[in-house]
Amino acid sequence: MTGSLAFASIGELSTSLRNREISASRLIDLYADRIERLGETSKAFISLDIERARARAEIIDRNFDETLKLNGIPYACKDLYDVKGLVTTGGSQVLQDNLAQQDAAAVKRMDQAGAIFIGKNNLHEFAYGATGENTLYGTTPNPYDHSRLAGGSSSGSAAALGYGLCAAALGTDTGGSVRAPAALCGLVGFKPTFGRVSTEGVIPYSWSLDHVGTLTRSAADAGLLFEQLALQHRPGKRTGLHQLTIGIPESFFFEHCDGEILDSVDALMNFLREAGANLKTVSLPSMEYTRTVSLTVQMPEALSYHNRYLEQRGHLYSQDFRAGLALGQCLLAEQYIRARRFIETYRNTMDHVFTGVDVILTPATPVIAPKIGVVEEAVDGHSEPAGNAITRYTSFFNMTGHPAITLPCGMHSEGLPIGAQLIGKHFADEQLIDVAQQIESDYDFELPLPDLD
Amino acid sequence: MKKLEKQTLLGIRDQFGSYAWDDAEISELVDPKLGIITGFQELLDQLEVLRKLDLESTPPAGDISLK
Repeated sequence: MTGSLAFASIGELSTSLRNREISASRLIDLYADRIERLGETSKAFISLDIERARARAEIIDRNFDETLKLNGIPYACKDLYDVKGLVTTGGSQVLQDNLAQQDAAAVKRMDQAGAIFIGKNNLHEFAYGATGENTLYGTTPNPYDHSRLAGGSSSGSAAALGYGLCAAALGTDTGGSVRAPAALCGLVGFKPTFGRVSTEGVIPYSWSLDHVGTLTRSAADAGLLFEQLALQHRPGKRTGLHQLTIGIPESFFFEHCDGEILDSVDALMNFLREAGANLKTVSLPSMEYTRTVSLTVQMPEALSYHNRYLEQRGHLYSQDFRAGLALGQCLLAEQYIRARRFIETYRNTMDHVFTGVDVILTPATPVIAPKIGVVEEAVDGHSEPAGNAITRYTSFFNMTGHPAITLPCGMHSEGLPIGAQLIGKHFADEQLIDVAQQIESDYDFELPLPDLD
Repeated sequence: MKKLEKQTLLGIRDQFGSYAWDDAEISELVDPKLGIITGFQELLDQLEVLRKLDLESTPPAGDISLK
């Protein structure tokens, strides 16, 4: 087993569990001890369910079922997911009494696969924001540099893995909230095709753009989780790297980007060429107004959901989220519909792009993890809010609904991970994960573990 | 298009059956001081550009299905 047990992949842990080299109870104890030691520093968890996890682990250990793909694997989920008997806070003062009556659909599936739930992760309040800053539960620091952000909005989920506090985590991704923090923390973040994993029992932010997603230590682990979470399975035949045609966007995705990130993605592109892949330039839709389109859909939808709480509990929302909701109130219905129509044009154009390529490759983010408290990020003369920078390369694919995965591909001289993003065709999630897995297996790069001492 | 005025948003709040946003919050949308929402006027300007583009009969995006 490579590295410490706390940083082992699901694949490695499953092998050890099946071979009785470790027990599920031992794993729970291991993570519980680490949470006790690092929970406050990482600010990864809002609530814990360790006693129930221990009881479940004992049952699993007594009669270990080898047919269950995630049997005995401890995992956590963003505190937007309902877990029966626990409060779903959404990371907000608003829902401190929101006791869940049943499990979210994704949690049920994890449970059926034998995974053991251990706790709920911190997040940007109600997933509104990519920095992961949370005035109530604290801002999650990056495991590689505690003065920097883990990123968000699934900040606690990324931190939980980054600090070695669980083996996998469920997040949500409306503009990159799984993929971006995963990239900033040296993890694999996967967002499936829109609709392939149920969002039932997950507090919505924007129904049209929300995706359930996974944060894992490897692409192989993302595949294991997706196999359990997907509503339908569509396994295709393996496409070797030498058989792939990979689209490289001719603009936007390589602009105003940190030079070392560009170098790392260039190195990955060279590896793919040497492996026999055909890399070709592709023209994507103009990105000039895509953030405007996304925001015009997000804020009215968020307001529509939160309207149920505003009258009685409006004063409990954070100031910035209230301001966002107020903005949603002041957009016109036709502007919202028009934005949804633009999304349809983006999808149509991307369908055409995907007739000529199997996957598209971009950097995951244009910046490394920003310093905590930094409001603006500037790269190459281009300045923007830190949250916008974090999700600049990811949010478009929430609108188009394509599956997308981010994976580590380099280390920055500042000591922070660099990520690449692969985007696949609609419903070709399995192929996309398989491509990421082949890169992970064949590309000569190994991410160092964070120094947490 | 004229610049957005606070009175317009107060009208939406008071005459459109809206949640009762504070005056300060409405002011922030029009004349940002706190830096929380800084781009509403810019957003409206961009939406005005998009309004002038002909989308022909393109419908709003719906669910994604296998083609």
